[in-house]
Amino acid sequence: MKVTPFYGCMIPIKYPQMEAAFKRTMPNLGVELIELEGFTCCPDPIFFKAKDVLGWLTVAARNLCVAEEAGMDIVTLCSGCTATLKEAVFLLAEDEDLKKKVNKRLAKIGKEYKGTTKVEHAVVVIRDELGIDRVRESVTRPLEGVKVAIHYGCHLLKPSQIMHVDDADYPSILEDLVDATGATPVSHEEELLCCGKGCIDDDMPLDMVYSIFSSIRDSGADCMGLICPTCFSSFDLGQIVVGRKRDTKFDIPVIYYFQLLGLAQGLSAEDVGLGLHKVKADRVLERVGAV
Amino acid sequence: MADKKKPVEIDFEFRERLSAVLGGNHHNYCYQCGACVAQCPAARYSDRFNPRSIMLDALLGRGDVLLGPDSPIWLCTNCYSCYERCPQDVRPIEVIVALKNMAYEDEAAPGEVTSFTQNITKTGLSGMVTPAVQKMRERLGLPELKQVPLDELLKILED
Repeated sequence: MKVTPFYGCMIPIKYPQMEAAFKRTMPNLGVELIELEGFTCCPDPIFFKAKDVLGWLTVAARNLCVAEEAGMDIVTLCSGCTATLKEAVFLLAEDEDLKKKVNKRLAKIGKEYKGTTKVEHAVVVIRDELGIDRVRESVTRPLEGVKVAIHYGCHLLKPSQIMHVDDADYPSILEDLVDATGATPVSHEEELLCCGKGCIDDDMPLDMVYSIFSSIRDSGADCMGLICPTCFSSFDLGQIVVGRKRDTKFDIPVIYYFQLLGLAQGLSAEDVGLGLHKVKADRVLERVGAV
Repeated sequence: MADKKKPVEIDFEFRERLSAVLGGNHHNYCYQCGACVAQCPAARYSDRFNPRSIMLDALLGRGDVLLGPDSPIWLCTNCYSCYERCPQDVRPIEVIVALKNMAYEDEAAPGEVTSFTQNITKTGLSGMVTPAVQKMRERLGLPELKQVPLDELLKILED
């Protein structure tokens, strides 16, 4: 199948290892990535939306137009981009007057949003369009014996009336995808807790990171598996910061799903850029024989 | 909390202003059931944040509380649990976002919001594409990042 990836900003700029892992694993699932030029920031669903919600929606609609003009559906790699673009699709379908207002602005740059492009996070495309068996078939080095603590993040699932991905309280998509790599998905008490990144406060986000990582430590998992760069930015460094404050060391590597998949498809740690992470995944690599 | 001896005063002008912002009008649907509170992570970690109280203050039109320097709205984690739970389609987070828009307009938003959004209005992206970024990408075998159509983005930000 052919899809257009929407990389956003955070992955290509801050965590390009996630982009590399995605690009190296998707073709092994039979996906052809059709790259398009002309996308801007989605824009981010927290700060830019907090500044100007109508501007946020219009910029999102412009990005959708870029794919629409090429007749392509969008696959997202970041939960924030997913939230923005899917909410834009929802709002513009819900309110005809709003769509007219947005299109009036888009007309200034010769664009019109019609509402024909579908947006889904890559993990949803895999589950719904390709099937999880396709993942299993692509695995050449099963991640046997690796216990992966799942972190869902908020924006993949909620609000379910927009996202339509899974049961927001009892999701299973990430457990199923991790299981397909040969690893053992580990549910834990705080797997649905927010990473805290959107909260503007000195203490609260770190308190949440502490709860999540204490919960993962109790679960006996070897690493955390996630699908969102914003959550990653809270956790990779955040567990070190909060560990220093509270006199503990978590040492739990945080791994993006496509990096796990890459390892399972026989890619090296360098191929998926694991060396760029603050918390090193050496134990996981040793266990799967990827050292 | 309001003084029980005094009649409740409602600032309808504030509510009209809130209702005019995209998503803000849904505050009118709130019947104060509190379903939004149970799963709210910000309420779990801070006594200062309670989405039901914020919706009540919105219904009363208490701009001093909601847009003032100690406003709780910035503690919202944007997790969408309240939207998920609300039986009235208030979409509390979207009302909070509308309140944030008003605060931004009043120049009362925290510096984090201004600095982050400035990146987007200066480059079209939320982060800075530095030579170090390009080098890191090159090492990973990824193509160089190109400039994005900032001019188009800026043109559509205004009516």
